[in-house]
Amino acid sequence: MMNRRQLLGAGAAAGALVSSQAWSQTSNRGLPEAAVMDTAATQSPTRPSTGVDYNPVVTLNGWTLPYRMNNGVKEFHLVAEPVERELADGMIAYLWGYNGQSTGPTIEAVEGDRVRFYVTNKLPEHTSIHWHGLILPSGMDGVGGLSHPGIPPGKTFIYEFDLTKSGTFMYHPHADEMVQMAMGMMGMFVVHPKDPEFMRVDRDFLIMLNAFDIDPGTYVPRIMTMTDFNLWTWNSRIFPDIDPLVVNQGDKVRVRVGNLTMTNHPIHMHGYDFKVTCTDGGWVPEAAQWPEVTVDIPIGGMRAYEFVADNLGDWAIHCHKSHHTMNAMGHDIPTFIGVDKRQLTKQIRKLQPEYMPMGTAGMADMGVMEMELPDNTIPMMTGWGPHGPIEMGGMFSVVKVREGIGADDYSDPGWYVNPPGEQAYEWTGELPEFATNTSPKTLITPKQTSKG
Amino acid sequence: MSVRKWPALIVTPLILAACATEIPGKYTDPKAGFLEVSSQTSAAIGKRTVLAQTQAENVALNKQVHGMVYRKTISADTAVQAALLNNKGLQASYAAVGISGAEVWQQSLLKNPVVSIGLFGIGAPELGVYRALESTIAFNLLDAATRKQRKALASAQFQQAQMNAVNETLMLANQTRQAWINAVSAFETVSYLRQASDAAAAGSELAAKLGQTGALNKAGQAREFAFNAELAGQLAKARLNATLAKEELTRLMGLWGTDVNYFVPDALPALPTSLRRVSSIEATALANRVDLKVAKIGLEAQAKAFGLTDQTRLVTDLELIAGFESERENDGGDTTTDTRPQLELEFAIPIFDNGEARMKKAELSYMQAANVLAERAVNVRSEARSAEAAYHASYQIARHYRDVVVPLRGTIEEEALLSYNGMITNTFELLLDVRQKLGSSLEASNAKRDFWLAQANVKAAIYGGGSGAAGGGEGMAIAAGGGAGH
Repeated sequence: MMNRRQLLGAGAAAGALVSSQAWSQTSNRGLPEAAVMDTAATQSPTRPSTGVDYNPVVTLNGWTLPYRMNNGVKEFHLVAEPVERELADGMIAYLWGYNGQSTGPTIEAVEGDRVRFYVTNKLPEHTSIHWHGLILPSGMDGVGGLSHPGIPPGKTFIYEFDLTKSGTFMYHPHADEMVQMAMGMMGMFVVHPKDPEFMRVDRDFLIMLNAFDIDPGTYVPRIMTMTDFNLWTWNSRIFPDIDPLVVNQGDKVRVRVGNLTMTNHPIHMHGYDFKVTCTDGGWVPEAAQWPEVTVDIPIGGMRAYEFVADNLGDWAIHCHKSHHTMNAMGHDIPTFIGVDKRQLTKQIRKLQPEYMPMGTAGMADMGVMEMELPDNTIPMMTGWGPHGPIEMGGMFSVVKVREGIGADDYSDPGWYVNPPGEQAYEWTGELPEFATNTSPKTLITPKQTSKG
Repeated sequence: MSVRKWPALIVTPLILAACATEIPGKYTDPKAGFLEVSSQTSAAIGKRTVLAQTQAENVALNKQVHGMVYRKTISADTAVQAALLNNKGLQASYAAVGISGAEVWQQSLLKNPVVSIGLFGIGAPELGVYRALESTIAFNLLDAATRKQRKALASAQFQQAQMNAVNETLMLANQTRQAWINAVSAFETVSYLRQASDAAAAGSELAAKLGQTGALNKAGQAREFAFNAELAGQLAKARLNATLAKEELTRLMGLWGTDVNYFVPDALPALPTSLRRVSSIEATALANRVDLKVAKIGLEAQAKAFGLTDQTRLVTDLELIAGFESERENDGGDTTTDTRPQLELEFAIPIFDNGEARMKKAELSYMQAANVLAERAVNVRSEARSAEAAYHASYQIARHYRDVVVPLRGTIEEEALLSYNGMITNTFELLLDVRQKLGSSLEASNAKRDFWLAQANVKAAIYGGGSGAAGGGEGMAIAAGGGAGH
C-alpha cells in the first residue's frame, strides 16, 4: 500500500502544491526515519518504551511522532512538505504540513530530556521551526533570519536543546510565517513532568485550533485571508468528522487546547465545570485555578483544563463563536425569515427548475435538507445525532463519558441512551408516572449505557 | 399672292426611310426584356418573378401572396418569394426595362421631317405687299446617318436596364432575406429579454418581501426595483425593435391591409452542422455579378458613343434643309411671284471647335467607364473574399458561442445553484448568474443571426444585390445590475 507521501510523489498530488525535488538527491543516511501518517484518524497513544514513564496524550485526529534514542538524546525527524489532508469525509485540502499530515504530529517528551530535531525542508521555499513556549538557546528559537538562516528547500537542519520545563507547547514555522501557517504548518509539543505523578491524569486530549479559507470547490487555502475564514478546524479537521473525546466514567481528564488562528476561541464544554491548570507559560498553581465552563483560548496561546468525568452522557464541546461551529457559508446572505417565497419559487423555477426556497423559517432546513453542493465542500451545518440533526460544523465535538471504557480505548462508544426521565420530552397534558413524586429528591432510574 | 409651297425634296426622307430595318420583337413585346430578367434572377435565387401589367394579373398575384402569408408563420424563402411577387418598386423597375425597350424601338424609327414655314414682310409697311414666304422641310441627315449607332446605344441601355432590373430583383431578394433574419432575431431577443426580465422581476419581488420583513433596506430594495424597471424598459425597446424589424419585412414584401397579419418564427434556425467551402468564390462572382455586367454594358455603351462621336466630329449639328423659297414682288402694281426651290446646307465650320474637346470628352468618358468597370471588378473580388471570410468566421463564432460560451455560462449557473444550496451565496447572486447565462444565450443568438446574414451575403457577393458589407449589426445585451443582497 502506498503511503501518502508516495502518492504525492507519484501523482504530484493531482498537480497540487509543489514539493522540493532537491531533497531526494541528498543523502539521508544517519537520519532517524521520518515516520509518515496517511490517515486523519485518531491514533492510539504511544506509550514510552524508554526513559521516564508518562501518560501519553491523545491527539484528536492526529498522532504522535516516534523518536529514537541516540546516546541519550531523543531524536525526531520532521519533514516539512506538501500534504493532502482530509478535513472531513468528502473534503480534501491541499496543505503544507509535516510528515504527511497537517497538523503535524504531536511531539511528546519528558522534562529534562535532550531532544534533537532533524528538520528536512521539502517545501518549495525556505522554512524554519519555532518551538513556541519552550525555553531554549536563542539560536534554536527558529525565527528565520534572526535565530538562524531559513532552512533552504532540500536541506535538513538540526535543532537541539534541553527540555527544561514541562507543560503544553506548540511548534510552527517562523519563516514566511503568514503563508506557512495559513497553509496548515503547525503541531503540538507536550513535555511531560519528570515526576509521573505530578499533574497526572488518566486521559490527556490535544486539540489545536486552526482555520482555513478554502473556497467551496477549491482545494488550496487562500493564504491572504486575515479574518474571513470559512473553515474552523481542530487539528485540521471539521465536525462531523472530528473524533469524539471518549472517556471512562471517573477518569481524570485533561484537555489541552492550542490556538494558532487569528482570533480567540471561547471553548465551552457541557456537563462539567473545570479548572484551567496549564498555559503555554507553565502549570497554574492550584490556588490560582478557578472554575469555568468556558475557557477563552487566546490567539497564539495554549490552555489545558481538567475535570473528573463523573457525569455520564454525550456532552458537546465547542467554540462558542457560533460561526465557528459552521462550515463554509456565505456572509452576504439576507435574512429570509418570514419571507413568503411560494409565488417567487414558481417564478424562479421557470428559469432555474432546481431552485429550492430556503431560510423562510430560519436556517435549520440547511441541516435537514441534503442538497447538492459544489465539489469538495460539506454543508454549512451538519452532523446527525441520535435525535436528529445536530446542526453543527467546524469546531465541535462530543465528550462521551461511559462506564467501563478500557484505559487505552478511545474508540467511539456510539450515542448515549438517556435513561427514562433524563431526557426532555413532549408534554401531552399529564405528567408520566416517573415524573410524579412527592419527594423533592430526583428519582433516578437505573443508568444505562450503550455501545455502538 | 397665294402662297404655294410644295416640298420638292420630300423624296429624301422616303429614301432614308428605306434604310429602316425590321424591329426585333423583344423591343416591341408587351413584356419587353422581362423574360431575360426573370430567367437570370431565378437562376440566381431560385425564385419566381412576374411582371404584372393588367388588373387581372395584379388580382391573381395578390391572391397568391395572400395565400402565402395571411395568418401564416412564414419562412425566409416564403418572404423572398412574396416580395418578388408583390413589391411594387420591383414592378416599377421591370417597367423601366419595358421603357428602355421602347426607347430602342423609338431609336429604330426615323425622325419625322420638320416642316418650317417663314413669312417675311409682315408688319413692314414700307415693304408694301412684299411678302416672302419661305417654306422648308428640314430633315436631319445626321439622324439617319447615326441611327445605327443610336440604336446600338439604346439597345445597350436596354440591356443595362435589364441588368438593373435583375440587380434590383436580387437586391430585393437579399434585403427581404436579411429583413426576415433581422425580424426573427429581434423576436428571439425579445424572448431572452423576457426571461431575463422574469429573473429581475423575481429579484424585485424578493427584495420587496425582504423589505416587508425588515431584512433589506430601502436602497437595497430600490436597487432591485430599478434593475427590474430597467429591464422592463429594455424589453419594451426590444419589442419595439421586433415590431419595426417586422414592419421592414412587411414593406419589402409590399404587404398591406389584412395581409400584414402574418408571423415570423420566434427563433432563427439552428446552425448547420457543417459548412461547405465555397469553391473559387472570386471567379464565380466575376462570372455572375450583375452589377459587373451592368458596368460592362456601360462600357460598351460608352464605346458605341465613342464611335458615334468619332463620325460626327465635323458634322455635328449638320442639317440639310430643303424647300422652296417663294418671293412675291409688287413691281409698280404688278405683282410677280418668284418661286425657287431651295436647298440649304447648314453646317458649322470647325474653326473654333474642331471636335477635339468632344473627342477628349468621349475618350475620357470611355476611360471613366473602363475604370468604373475595373474598380467594380476589384471590389467584386474583395466583396467575394469578404463574404466568404464572414461566412466561415461568423459560423465559427456562432459555434463558439453555442458550444463554448453558453455551456460555460451553464456551468456557472449550475455551480451558482450549488453554492446557493450550500448557503454560500444568496438568491440574488443565483438570479444574477441566471441572467448572465441568458445574456450569453442572447449573444449566441446574435452570433447566429450574423451567420445567417453572412450566408445571405455570400449569395449577394456572387450574384449581386448586396450592400457589399459583411457581418451584422450590434445586438442587444442584457443590462447588468441588481444584487441587493449585499
